[in-house]
Amino acid sequence: MGASTTTLRSRYWNKEAQLAYLLMLPAVVLLVSLMVYPIAYVFMMSLYRTDRLGRLQEFAGMAAYLEVFSTRVFWETTVRTAVWTVLAVVVKAVLGMIIALVLNVEYTGRRTARMLFIIPWASSVPISAMLWKWVYDHEFGLLNQTLRATGIWTNPPVWLGAPTSAFISTIWVDIWVGVPFMALIFLAGMQAISRDLYESGEIDGANATQKFVNITIPGIRHLILIATMLSSLWTFNDFNTVFILTKGGPGTSTEILITAVYKHGFEWLRFSRAAVMAVVTFVILTMLSLFYARMFFRQERDL
Amino acid sequence: MRRMRTIGVLVMVLLLLTTVLYAGGQREEAKPTVTVLWALYDGLTEEYRAELQSAFMAAHPDINLDIVPVPWDQMYDRITTSLAGGRPPEVSVIGTRWALEFMELDAIVPMEDYVSQATIDNILPGTKEAVIEGQLMGLPVAAGARILAINTDITDKVPATMEEMRAEALRVTTDDRYGLIMPGRKHTELTDFAYYLYAAGGDFFEMEPDGTYGRSTVNSPAGVKALEFMVQLATEDEVVPPGFMATTRMEAHPVFYSGRAGYVMIGAWVESALADAGATFDVKYAQIPGFRGTPSTPLVITDSLVIFKDAANKEAAGTFIDFFYQDEWKARFDELIGFPPVTASAAELPQFQTPLYEALNEAAVSAKPWPLMEGFAEVTDIVWDAVTAAYLGQATPQAALDDAARQIDRMRGF
Repeated sequence: MGASTTTLRSRYWNKEAQLAYLLMLPAVVLLVSLMVYPIAYVFMMSLYRTDRLGRLQEFAGMAAYLEVFSTRVFWETTVRTAVWTVLAVVVKAVLGMIIALVLNVEYTGRRTARMLFIIPWASSVPISAMLWKWVYDHEFGLLNQTLRATGIWTNPPVWLGAPTSAFISTIWVDIWVGVPFMALIFLAGMQAISRDLYESGEIDGANATQKFVNITIPGIRHLILIATMLSSLWTFNDFNTVFILTKGGPGTSTEILITAVYKHGFEWLRFSRAAVMAVVTFVILTMLSLFYARMFFRQERDL
Repeated sequence: MRRMRTIGVLVMVLLLLTTVLYAGGQREEAKPTVTVLWALYDGLTEEYRAELQSAFMAAHPDINLDIVPVPWDQMYDRITTSLAGGRPPEVSVIGTRWALEFMELDAIVPMEDYVSQATIDNILPGTKEAVIEGQLMGLPVAAGARILAINTDITDKVPATMEEMRAEALRVTTDDRYGLIMPGRKHTELTDFAYYLYAAGGDFFEMEPDGTYGRSTVNSPAGVKALEFMVQLATEDEVVPPGFMATTRMEAHPVFYSGRAGYVMIGAWVESALADAGATFDVKYAQIPGFRGTPSTPLVITDSLVIFKDAANKEAAGTFIDFFYQDEWKARFDELIGFPPVTASAAELPQFQTPLYEALNEAAVSAKPWPLMEGFAEVTDIVWDAVTAAYLGQATPQAALDDAARQIDRMRGF
């Protein structure tokens, strides 16, 4: 016993180890204070009654969970968030792939095209959302003015004023902001694929689609996984776009979980309820991340 | 060993540097700073804010003043976030109805503790809405009833009832001008529903014998009548701008300022907003009418200045408020935002003896405020959703308001 304690001590508390601990200390302190503590506190808030500043008052067990889960609006919001995320990420991935393919072909002006495609991603999301809010303005917005002036739609809809059009308009802005990221990642992956593979394909008589399916996609599948995972996490929590364009309205038709958390927490000061929704968000995103991680490492193993 | 010593020396140097920098910062901070969250009222200019800040610091060189402009729609969130973070400003403009919630949080202090008696005595008694449990928890900064502004280039008709207003709105509406303004996008205020609800003789809650608020009455016959009327104006008569569902109050009113609407129910800032917009048409002011057989009952709104308990420099905050409430600054502030004065001395000034202020004074006689209760922000949101559902045809006004009343009662524990 004594010997093994001494061995452990000499292994984990020698000079090298002490130096390692010292160097790790700032990162650990930062991680605990900025990530672990807030997450733990949110879990606590969901189990306690809180005052209007979010301070814990008394243990309430699952009361806040039951309260939130018993409302129709919560389930509608959760389903809407899932639909919003899946739709946005799929469209971003498809458009990103098309743009990457276009940018991967040699032609004059390719460099300019690449720069132009990056602009939406390089702009700040709140500013992009505000610009789109002006574009969607019913009377003075660029979109409706164009539709009216060209005669395409003489009586265009109030884009942000009806549930379906508001949902589509909001999701489009999220897509517009997020596509360049996907395109850039895919493009980087495509450029890393050896030209020899394509040349071999051509010798074997493969057409463009076959080369895309059998060479390009397998060559960037790692990147597809990483990009769609990151995009899913960001889209699920895209507070800025929804809050600036519609604030969740009309009614609750564009509300997603993250805006609901904000509304319950910082507008109504019902922190327990907000914490429950934040915990649900955390659980969903953790599961999503684990699923992606599993897929990623399985691919690694298969290689 | 030498490496450990080097790292140790490096850590010591870093610590020393941090201490020196912190001490320097502390010396700079020795002068108290008063942070004021400053609501961006229509008409209030940046020049005025900057002049007030400079003038105060010139008069009180021992105090820093930081007047932070905040849009009205973000004010509540901004305050609650700062309170939750334990770093409230010294002073903020608030909707007076929020005072009760801040009191429950023990977040604000009685004004008498830091503001001079001379300043408090100069406040018109009728504007002291923030007297809670016998203590003045906020000084009125803007108080005014809502009125009806009429673009006389479009119509001269002063409606005596809501029904008359609708008839005239229908008459004057054409392809490029509208009978009246109606914001349809959810925002912090529920003003438009309140105008029609009060005009129909309704209220948000029944009053208990002990003066507390009972069950919600938004689905009373008066409430339903009000919402049916709003839906009729907006979706059947189409006398409001077609994009109304996507506009908040602040986004909807510019259509009136541009001369393209006959009527707007609005606050006292209308005149300065019209001037800012360069409006050239004539406007006259009247009372928001009641429905036939119901007296005019406009909404009156009071905003207050409060001092936060956990703020670091409350004494200096009181000094700032005393300075701001002098006629030189407060009367100019009132004039810019177009609200009637809240101080006795400013009320005597010639600039406040105009038709707009006559209309405001008349409205104040029969006006009714918001319910002064905790959790009204959530009530507002629930009623907004009901109004939206009715506009969109997702529910009848009766069904939407029944659902809203149920939610409100459930939320308040009934």
